[in-house]
Amino acid sequence: MNIESLVADLAAKVPGVVLAADPSYVKSYPTMRLSSAAYLLPAASFLKERGFDYLEIITAVDWLGPVSPEGYTRGGRNPHPFSAPEAPALVAVKNPAAAYKPAFDMLWCLANIPARARLLLRLEIPREDPAVPSLTGLFKAADWQEREVFDLLGVRFEGHPNLKKILTPDFLQGHPLRKDYVHVKDRYDE
Amino acid sequence: MGVILERLPGAVKGVPGAGVVLTTADVFIDWSRKYSLWPVTFGLACCAIEMMAAYASRFDFDRMGVMPRPSPRQADVMIIAGTVVKKMAEPIIRIYHQMPEPRFVISMGSCANCGGPYYDSYSVVKGVDRIIPVDVYVAGCPPRPEALFYAVLKLQEKVQKMRISKGAGATPQAEKGPRNVAA
Repeated sequence: MNIESLVADLAAKVPGVVLAADPSYVKSYPTMRLSSAAYLLPAASFLKERGFDYLEIITAVDWLGPVSPEGYTRGGRNPHPFSAPEAPALVAVKNPAAAYKPAFDMLWCLANIPARARLLLRLEIPREDPAVPSLTGLFKAADWQEREVFDLLGVRFEGHPNLKKILTPDFLQGHPLRKDYVHVKDRYDE
Repeated sequence: MGVILERLPGAVKGVPGAGVVLTTADVFIDWSRKYSLWPVTFGLACCAIEMMAAYASRFDFDRMGVMPRPSPRQADVMIIAGTVVKKMAEPIIRIYHQMPEPRFVISMGSCANCGGPYYDSYSVVKGVDRIIPVDVYVAGCPPRPEALFYAVLKLQEKVQKMRISKGAGATPQAEKGPRNVAA
């Protein structure tokens, strides 16, 4: 399979999808950036028709930037361990060129196993009330992966049939992989 | 019988002229108990790999009477081999209470002892002794099978000291006093 022609076909079919700039690349796999969440389902269904029928990974990157560790509970440093958590303050960024911004960078990894090809889709969504369309209608494998992203990062997947926690215990509050996650002490903490 | 008399001087007396030895119930019960410490198979993380190596032929814990059992109802000792996450805490408590008394716990490795490298994690219990009473701690990350072997020897020493007069049978929990495991 010629990956360049596939990328060109995809860009022609779905106008909001462009080949991403280099820094967004994961290793050397061709990475397409979606300009809006509305293009996700057309792009994914196009790729599925073209043989990319294996959804390998759904994940997201929190680009909030470094936060002060003071808000994180440890020992007795947090003065009010059982009060509602407050978001820890952002700390000064050592590298101003770093792409820190209040956004989640979503990532979908699709593979075409007979052609030994892999293609990635990226989509930047705001951190406030993040939501993207669910791919469960196209790929069965999306079910648990989307639940995992929802559990750990709090991204809602619109149209998911059963969007609830999958990994963390029921009593855990919040989404632990968020940069501004504050741990609320539970019965197993001191 | 000569071996018995040599191994347990003072505790066991041979009766001259008869094929009989006399001993106390304490010594006899503890002696049989300490050489049949059956652990419930319970690996949680990478320490379990060392635990499996310890059971296997190179280190061969069978020669100490340590034979892994698939059910807590047949087991005497639970080896907590690995990281105890909060989601696993409740099953651990349940399995512990399914073991018949006297029951013992070996905490194997840094994670089970105190949380280890995951002390700051949101999901790890900072030591299994926060949820169940522990008899022997093994340091290491992960401990070698020899270290686990030493822990078994230490547990055997402890078992040998158990006395009927102290409530034989004697749950280590009872000797330590009540403990609120649900806290």
